Amino acid sequence: MKPPGWLSVPWMRAFLALLLVLAVGAVWHADGAFFRWNTHRDMLRQVAVPGILACGMTLVIITGGIDLAVGSILGLCAVTFALLTIHCGWPAIVALPAVVLLGAAGGATSGTLVGRLRVQPFIATLALMVFARGLAKFIAGGQKISAAVLKPDGTFAYVALPPVFQHLDARLFGGNVAAVTLVFLGCVAVSWVVLTQLRYGRYLFATGGNEEAARYSGVPVTHARLLAYGLSGAFAAVAGICQAVQEQQGDPEAGVAYELTAIAIAVIGGNSLAGGRGAIGFTLLGALTIGYLEKILSINAVAQSSRLMLTGVIIVAAVLLQRRQLN
Amino acid sequence: MFAASVASQAATDLGRRWTIGMSQCNLGEPWRVQMNADLQRAAAVHPELKLVFKDAQNDTLRQRAQIEEFINSGIDLLIVSPKEAAPLTPPVADAFKRGIPVIVLDRRVLGTSFTQFIGADNRRIGRAAGEWIVRRLASNPRVQAGGKAHVVELKGLMTSTPGQDRSAGFREAIKGQPVEIVFEADMKWLEPEARKEMESALAVHRDIDLVYAHNDPGAHGAYLAARAGGHAKDILFVGIDALPHEGQAYVMQGLLAATFEYPTGGVEAINSALRILHGEKVPKELSLPSRVFTRENLERGGEQLP
Repeated sequence: MKPPGWLSVPWMRAFLALLLVLAVGAVWHADGAFFRWNTHRDMLRQVAVPGILACGMTLVIITGGIDLAVGSILGLCAVTFALLTIHCGWPAIVALPAVVLLGAAGGATSGTLVGRLRVQPFIATLALMVFARGLAKFIAGGQKISAAVLKPDGTFAYVALPPVFQHLDARLFGGNVAAVTLVFLGCVAVSWVVLTQLRYGRYLFATGGNEEAARYSGVPVTHARLLAYGLSGAFAAVAGICQAVQEQQGDPEAGVAYELTAIAIAVIGGNSLAGGRGAIGFTLLGALTIGYLEKILSINAVAQSSRLMLTGVIIVAAVLLQRRQLN
Repeated sequence: MFAASVASQAATDLGRRWTIGMSQCNLGEPWRVQMNADLQRAAAVHPELKLVFKDAQNDTLRQRAQIEEFINSGIDLLIVSPKEAAPLTPPVADAFKRGIPVIVLDRRVLGTSFTQFIGADNRRIGRAAGEWIVRRLASNPRVQAGGKAHVVELKGLMTSTPGQDRSAGFREAIKGQPVEIVFEADMKWLEPEARKEMESALAVHRDIDLVYAHNDPGAHGAYLAARAGGHAKDILFVGIDALPHEGQAYVMQGLLAATFEYPTGGVEAINSALRILHGEKVPKELSLPSRVFTRENLERGGEQLP
């Protein structure tokens, strides 16, 4: 079967998947809850953290790789951010860049393993995923880092949360947009600039498309990889900060399995896991699709078992829609 | 072999020194971290006890292997908080049959091949929470007008027995009472999930009176969702577990109306261990009492539940 002409535009196909999910919401609207802006505002808040991870994932996927470490780096950075700001009293202006640098360093480690030492991306980032989770638990001492500080005698002292937690978890524009949603859009914008405006963006596509050809035509493949994984780590750190401010604590278990959501978001939007092809706009559409799907199931109080099955079915349906040929 | 000889040497060196092996199923949960901390603190005041911890990281087979390691190293007493009953019954029974006293903490094993089971009753705690909630909501305007108060239930992982029991006990208590569950969702014990589900509940229902969450992080996540929407003042939040740095802290900060303790049994386990090691007999079952913490009684260390 040959698809109609308008379906041959990748953007239209990605959009179709989102429309499909929105149509489901319009039918099962939970007593009109789906038609209220608050529902959409909350969805945009919820999707911010996995969406930010998906931005980094997109950059890595375009180079033909995969980054399984993002969920663990999120946890590590959430713990570190909470520790630095709540327990050590670092001002936010210092703690924020320090934590982003930590994430970038984690990502750059993956990038070095993949780019320079030729370890397969799956293996390299799997190793980092395990390591970073262990480091997060080590730093946190197995406990959540919150406003309750353990004293040597085993009792707890309660300290005030630094204002950065309020500011980043706030709602802006008359309570209509969550701050973390804007952070997500900022990450999308940064990814867009990298992919479309910088020469290094073209290097990412060239590396993922045909590495040999890219190498022969003078593309710095190793550096391109370092950039992609490094940015992915930095985005994971930003996501970790967003997670910590929303939970008001640094949980060493935060972000477990989030890498899978990030991959799902990137792929459902139409980015190719084979590499060399993709756009950050696809990721944005994918984030909205996954976000709305979860929100619609949630406002209708669908049981967990049905939720998981429906999510699986809809992911497959959406990915089939992405196919160039519907044969 | 090597470990066994080391252990026996330590025993002769220090006269009355006993080694207790503690097999913890998963130190990824704050409540279990607290259990180990309670054990450690209780044991620290008894210089004749040496406590060795192993963490199975939520892996049944790893826990089985760790129990076998303890048996081979010649410990004097085994404390085990098993991940699952059936697959961990044989190694626990094996230890018991070799003459090692076994204290089973929190989750059960099958059969009777252990010295003592120490645990709290989730169903009873759920029921106590339900009864407390019914009393607390008696003054609610909707109830006063002859209607029903609106409650959201944020459930723990419903494939786990604690989640099932905390729900079942709660529902027993509110049966026939002017309390209606208007929204329920599985938040899988996770705070971010609870926040999401509470936002959905608020999107669908404008007039929620109380949130009953199966753990304190869940209640806290619900509170954060309500606060973001400006509803936190109109809604009561109730949680379970009452860890000092979680539930009790939230009650103290005025975020939760109440939290119900799910005791770890760490202190009781060390007390029982000492009695067993001194040759005393202990009852086969030790059911732990729970406490409720509210703003009013927090200073006094909570209030015992019946």
